[in-house]
Parts: sequence; C-alpha cells; structure tokens
Amino acid sequence: MKKVMKISITIGCILGICLLSGCSKETNQVVNVLNWSSYIPDSVIREFEKETGLQVNYSTYSSNEECLAKVSSAKEGTYDLIFPSDYMIEIMIKREMLEPLEQNKLQNINNIDSFYLNQSFDPENKYSIPFVMASTVIAVNREHISDDITSYQDLLNENYRNNITLIDDQRIIIGIALLANGYDMNTVNEEELEIAKDWLLKLKPNIKAFDSDSPKNFLITEESDIAVLWNAEAALAYQENHNIEFIYPVEGSALSMDNFAIPKGARNQEAAYQFIDYILRADVMEKIIKSYPYKNVNQATQSLLGPDYLYNIASNIPTSIIENGFYVKNIGESVKLYDKLWAEIK
Amino acid sequence: MSNKKIWKIFFLAPIIIYVALLIALPLCYILLISFFKSDYYGGMISTFTIQNYIDVFDQVYVSVFLKSILIAGITTIICILISYPFVIAVSHKHPRTQKILMTLVMVPFLTNSLIRMYGWLVLLRKSGVINQVLLGTGIISEPLSLMYNIPGILIGMVYTLLPFMILPLYSSVSTIEPYLLEAASDLGASKIKTFFKIIVPQTLPGLFNGSLMVFTPALGYFFIIDILGGGKMMILGNLIKNQFLTARNWPFGAAISIILVLITSLIILAYRKLGGKMDDLGGA
Repeated sequence: MKKVMKISITIGCILGICLLSGCSKETNQVVNVLNWSSYIPDSVIREFEKETGLQVNYSTYSSNEECLAKVSSAKEGTYDLIFPSDYMIEIMIKREMLEPLEQNKLQNINNIDSFYLNQSFDPENKYSIPFVMASTVIAVNREHISDDITSYQDLLNENYRNNITLIDDQRIIIGIALLANGYDMNTVNEEELEIAKDWLLKLKPNIKAFDSDSPKNFLITEESDIAVLWNAEAALAYQENHNIEFIYPVEGSALSMDNFAIPKGARNQEAAYQFIDYILRADVMEKIIKSYPYKNVNQATQSLLGPDYLYNIASNIPTSIIENGFYVKNIGESVKLYDKLWAEIK
Repeated sequence: MSNKKIWKIFFLAPIIIYVALLIALPLCYILLISFFKSDYYGGMISTFTIQNYIDVFDQVYVSVFLKSILIAGITTIICILISYPFVIAVSHKHPRTQKILMTLVMVPFLTNSLIRMYGWLVLLRKSGVINQVLLGTGIISEPLSLMYNIPGILIGMVYTLLPFMILPLYSSVSTIEPYLLEAASDLGASKIKTFFKIIVPQTLPGLFNGSLMVFTPALGYFFIIDILGGGKMMILGNLIKNQFLTARNWPFGAAISIILVLITSLIILAYRKLGGKMDDLGGA
C-alpha cells in the first residue's frame, strides 16, 4: 500500500510540474530570434527580457546559407526575426520568404543614418532594415612587416611565404582576386574568372590558412603577420596587439550589410518589432558595437561611442571606403563556376 | 509464435527502428534528391536528371576524390604501422593490464573530437608547446611548421582515427592461440616470419575492419582539414559541405555522397570476393 502511495504521489508531482510549465508557456510571450553567432552580447538580450517581460529564444547561424537552410526547412512561423546579409535579403525576397515591414511600428527607425538605407538589394527597405555593416580589410603586423602595402597585388610579395591568413569564403576571396585584376567582383565571365584563378594560385604559397571562425587569432598569436578579414575581427585583434595596422586596398573592399528581417508567417511579429526597436535604441546599439566593433549605422549611437571606436578605421569604416566598396551579389546558377574554381584553388 | 521469437523481436526492434529511421530513410532521401536539380536559391526542382552524376566526373572534382583517397590511404597505413606493435605488446601483458591499457585507448572518446582538435592547435602552433620546448632546449633554431599543412592534417587524422584501428586489431590479436606462436618459435621461425606467417593471416579480418573504419571517415573529416590543415585542402567532406552550405546545390552534394557510399560498398564487396566473411567484420 505504501508503495502505491509513493508511486501515485510521484506521478502526481510530475503531472503537476508538466501542467504548471504548460501554463507559464502560454502566459509568457516569446520572440524567436535567429542571429549570427557573436553579434549581440548576451547581456543585451537579458536586459530586453527584463524590460519587456518577453522571453527571447535565441539561436545562431554562421553563414547566410545556414540561415536560409534553417528558415526554409523549419515549419513556417518558427522564427520571428532573422539577420540576413544583403544578397541573402535579395534571395529571400525572390523566394517570398519575408514579411513586408511596417516601419511605423518602430519609434527608433529615424536613428538609422539615411546613408545606409535604400540599398540595391531592397531599394525601399520594404523587407529589411540595416543592423550593422562590415567590410574586408588587410591587417598587417607592423612589428614584422614594414613594406608599403596599398593594393591586393602587394600580397604576392615572395617575402610573405606562408604568412597570410584569408577568410574562408569563396565569393569574397575570389571577388578580391577579381578586384586585384581590375574586374567586377560579381563577374560571371569565365575568362575573367580564369585570370582570378591564376592570380590565386600565384598567391597560394603565401597563404597560411583559410579561416572564417576566428582569423583574428592568427594575428594575435602571431601565427601570421598579414590577414584579409572582416573589419570587426581586425579591430578586436588590434585590442590585443597594437602593432597591427589596417589597410583598405585601392581596388576597393568587399562589403556586407546585415539586416533585420521578419520571416513570412512569423507568429510573434509584435514582439519582433519590439526587439528591433529595442536594438535601434542609441544606448543599446552602443553596447552591441562596443562588444562587436562592426560599422555602426545608427546616428544616435555614433555620438556615444568613444575615440577608441571613432578613430579606429577598422571599426569605424570611413565613408570613402564604403563608397569605393562592393557587395556580393546573387549570381544565380553561376555560383557553380565559383564553386568549381574554389575546388581548383584548394 | 514461440516465446523466444517474441523476445528476439522485442530486443531487436529498437535497433531496427533506429537504423531505418536515422540511417536508411535519410539515405533514401539523399539518393532521391541526387536526381533533382538545384534552383540555386537554396531550393530544389524535382525533376529527374543524371546531370549531377555527370558533373562529379569533371576533372576538378575527380582530383578532389583522388586527393581524399590519398590522404585517407596514408592515414590508414600510418594507423596500421602504429597499431600492430601496440596491440601485440598489449596482448602479451597480464589480462588486468590489458584491460587498463585498452580503456586508456578509449578515454579520449569522452571528449568531443572538435575540442581535442583545438587542443592540438595549442600544441602545434608556431608559438605552441612543442615549438617552445624544442626552441628552449636549442634543438631547433626556427619554429617548425607543424600545422596548416599536410603533416598537420595527417597528425589530426591519425590521432582521431587510431582507436578505430586499435580496437578491432586488438580483438583479432587476442584470439590467436598462444600455442601457435610457441610452435612457430619452436620450429625456428624468426620473429618477423612469425609476424607475417601467423599473426597477419590470423588478424586479417580485424585489419580489414580497422582499415575500413579509418579509411571511410578520413574521406570526410572536413573539420580536421579546416582546423589543422588551415582549410587549404579540399577533400570530399569539404566538397559535400560546400554544396549544402555555400553553393546552395543540395542535389550535387547528394550525388557526391552517393558516390562515396558506392566506393565504400565496393571496398566491402572486394573484401568478400577475396574470401572475407561479413561476420568477421563485426569484431571477432
């Protein structure tokens, strides 16, 4: 008898816990955010939860394609807010994967510098709002390398054998090879791509590694003295090693803009708007930029950022560089050519 | 139905469901989409085309296959060379010592292999432990390049896959009757002769099983190439991963995967044709 009592009490407890947790889920509003890894510090999310009472379910991805795969393979309405880059916005608009944004729901929308609005991938910002910007940059350890470097061509110098780290991104690196030879970064012309291939094969003996996870570590540990990487990574490397200098090559840099977007059929759209509006607040964006020094596009935040950020060209990319830069564009089926070329280089 | 049969089904059911749901079904899906066409927007068009299989035979991708086979082959050979002396030495120890040593072989499995790769990074880098020690003791004057090259890849592959060679080989070696070795030595066979005439033939199933378990994953372990090889080489694993993630060409990635399965199947088929028994592969 005692045993039966014990068992029934245990079952009762388990059922009770299940019921209670079921209840709390219904009363607590949630917002399902899918974002790049290391882009928003955890503390910002916790403060948002405290302020609004909303619960943030946060998951991450590490490439635009991963974001696309996650959103398109999940049940519609799984995610409420995503952060795709420029060309991925274009693809998602084409595939009708995004909800049109109602900008009047965002009080802080005017904080965004109009310079960054109305980009070619979403001309009227109907589906996306800029979050941060990034650019590739050449970072050089001046303790070991004193040569003048102004162009991608300078990277071919034989003295840099096994000393250059590049991000592991086929569109960006092949794009840079195209820029080095005076071609369009998004070309689909096979002859031009062939020349880019030969250029990369010439560069190959100088390449230490391709790494997208943490190319800054190569600079910090002095494993390599030169790296072509995203600006924020370079700025973080500089915090560890002040001998690092940043160079924006004359041919132009590859640009990337990450944007807020709401996937089609999102279930908690109001909460998603609340989250976007919170991030657009000057003081919140300041915290984000201080942790991950990408290019800030929020003009209200700009005045809050100190000289460490403002006078560092790796974090605060000069406007002239952005005007001289290029976005990766969606090239449809021709991505096949790039993919094959990448296999040939490696 | 007899009671025994019911129990048999009862105990086998979880395995059957597991294999069907998590291995057979996804494989069928991969086979199916390998005949589709990519729309290059991350989606697929469901038609029937063998274009993906024709594309695999492009010279560029064939060379990726050959490179992968070469890396996997060298890895397997190094694993064999390390494992044989090890398992023979272990098999001569006291049974309790044997158990302890074999447990030690398996201990690294308790840590995620990705984390162990990052551990190697700390050892092998230019300013890493190995170089520091060698420089400090004056054995070398310039740091050695131990990673971001082919030796780095091989260190990672051999380190990760070695237990898969040791375990089957050990179970084969431990079944050799000691009197066979005694007889060989009584009849005047040298140690080398004993090894090739008695140990190798007796452990052939274990050797093949181990080789298969080392060779096959070595074709696909892209994270080792990425971390210790500096992403400078492309093997089948990277190629397949790229198709699914960057090139947005799932059908082509699926076609390469199917060919990989075919290669593995062919190796097993060759083993059977040479007189090997499938039962032996289950670990004697």
